[in-house]
Amino acid sequence: MAWSKYKTEYIDSDRSPAGSLWVMKPLWKVFRFFCKTVVHRPVTILYPYEKMWMPENYRGRPGLRFDRCVACGMCAKMCPTACIKLVETEDASGQKVMRPQINLGRCAMCGYCAEYCPLDAMTVTPEFELAEYTREDLIYGPKRLAYEGATEKMEIHLEQTLMSDIKNGNSERRISPFKIDRPVLDAAKCISCKKCEKVCPVKAVKMVEHGVNEKGRPILYPEFNNDACICCENCVEDCPKDALRINEVL
Amino acid sequence: MMAKNDIVYDPDSHLQTDKMWVIMGPQHPFSHGLWTLKAQLDGEIVTDAEPIIGYLHRGWEKECENRIYPKIIPMADRLCYAASMTYTHLYCMTVEKALGIDIPEKAKYIRMIGDEICRIQSHLMWLAAVGTDLGNLTVFLWSMREREFFMDLNVRLCGARMTTNFPRIGGVRNDINDDFVMYTKRCINRFEKAIWDVISLIDDSSTFVSRMKGTGVLTRERCANLGITGPAMRGTGVDFDVRRDDPYDNYDKVEFEVPVLKDGDSYSRYKIRIEEMFQSCKIIMQALEKIQAIGKNAPYRLKVPSKVPAGRAFMRMEDPRGESMMCLISDGSDKPYRLKVRSPIFVNVSAAKPLVQGCRIADVPVVMAMIDMCLGETDR
Repeated sequence: MAWSKYKTEYIDSDRSPAGSLWVMKPLWKVFRFFCKTVVHRPVTILYPYEKMWMPENYRGRPGLRFDRCVACGMCAKMCPTACIKLVETEDASGQKVMRPQINLGRCAMCGYCAEYCPLDAMTVTPEFELAEYTREDLIYGPKRLAYEGATEKMEIHLEQTLMSDIKNGNSERRISPFKIDRPVLDAAKCISCKKCEKVCPVKAVKMVEHGVNEKGRPILYPEFNNDACICCENCVEDCPKDALRINEVL
Repeated sequence: MMAKNDIVYDPDSHLQTDKMWVIMGPQHPFSHGLWTLKAQLDGEIVTDAEPIIGYLHRGWEKECENRIYPKIIPMADRLCYAASMTYTHLYCMTVEKALGIDIPEKAKYIRMIGDEICRIQSHLMWLAAVGTDLGNLTVFLWSMREREFFMDLNVRLCGARMTTNFPRIGGVRNDINDDFVMYTKRCINRFEKAIWDVISLIDDSSTFVSRMKGTGVLTRERCANLGITGPAMRGTGVDFDVRRDDPYDNYDKVEFEVPVLKDGDSYSRYKIRIEEMFQSCKIIMQALEKIQAIGKNAPYRLKVPSKVPAGRAFMRMEDPRGESMMCLISDGSDKPYRLKVRSPIFVNVSAAKPLVQGCRIADVPVVMAMIDMCLGETDR
């Protein structure tokens, strides 16, 4: 075994470096290595002409699938360098929509935007040659962020195991928190302002009438469509009275 | 011609010379990173020295107080670029301890593999630096070549070469696949043969061994008083390794040896690090077998609550450079109240004065290279 060889020959033995011929040993080693490299294939590649092989989940610049995105802002929220901003743009039918824009001069290529995207609209891409002449060119708009040929492995899924599942012996189930965490309403605090309905990017919130108050005005409480909800927490953050919270299933 | 030592020493004559302060750094070939060593010279002999750090201070700990817990993970990567996964691992362990959760076995082994890959790659980076400090550029090139294979393993593991961003609170980012297992085994088997090229360049050459042997001697007592940890401490005869003596994750379930040498000079520190690389190979191979025994569908990442209960948590781990610790104080919100980092090099650099005192100025780069400076974690 290699580890025992170093221990016995170098660490435990009392070697003296005084022998002058020892200088020749490394020289001989280098010469042998030279002969080896003449025969063997090179360890380097001709970089600009040849590219290194990259695995599919290589974290280059972020990519965006324009059609899948619903502008929930999860990527902007999770970005550790705050380089993502939602900007107004036009989609294929000419409608004004919000989509992420990324300042790649700040991007740390951590892959959080792809990991925390509830709809897998953000992906990681294998593109890493991002040099530009000006700093403005480093800002990638929503259209420029598109990456041709984004595969399924490039969308990093958030696959987690619940602690309760492990206790129940169901440890093979993987689930994304965006599928199980749902907002809960504290009805006593709600003032029926409809803000949650307005900010919901997937229209999963519906204000439902629950009778009238003493002034004769209707009392509206939000109701959540749990299938459509993606747990982006926009309603929780925009609620003026903190009536909503996310119920974390653990 | 007069003999060389045939002079009359007169302290009042004009031959009397002052001691000279030589400022080495922050931009200096000897300082790997941004730091300064002020050395007082009496001729060739260093009589006094003072390390100055702080050129890379970025307010890391303060910055963490404004971030939610998962967002600190990419920042912890950037504490030390040579061994990024160890600090991320340490941060995740600290938060897990504060949460009071036990992560799946598989995640522990995957983290262990990542840690040991980082340890080998960090030691190879150190070996490359030592090579240039000794004046041997071949060592630099060859150990950088070896390091490249471990970088490729990092890419396969997590999709990035250096800033891995791989451990998560409650597990790891992604599972390993069969390809990774195969390539890791192949890489380790290859490395155990190829590293002998580098070893024979340095250990078998009297030129380099005589420059390391007997220089920068640190006694065991001095080492304890200065609080030095890591290979520099084990080179002086202190038999302590956090992995073995205070095991975290699953280090108590794998077999490995902790190399200890009693000489306390630069050469013993060198030998300890080389031996540690072999031991890391041993750990990786064992952990791979354990992962395969656990099975493919075992959980690797737990869902954890976003808020950490109020209290304090403290963890320590064996970094490639020494013992790193983190102390987390949380106030029950989703951001830490305080995150204190104890980095090994911040303490080890205080040994600069006792290490270089008495040696020649030409030996200073070699002596300080054996500390394996990393300024990212020191200044934070």
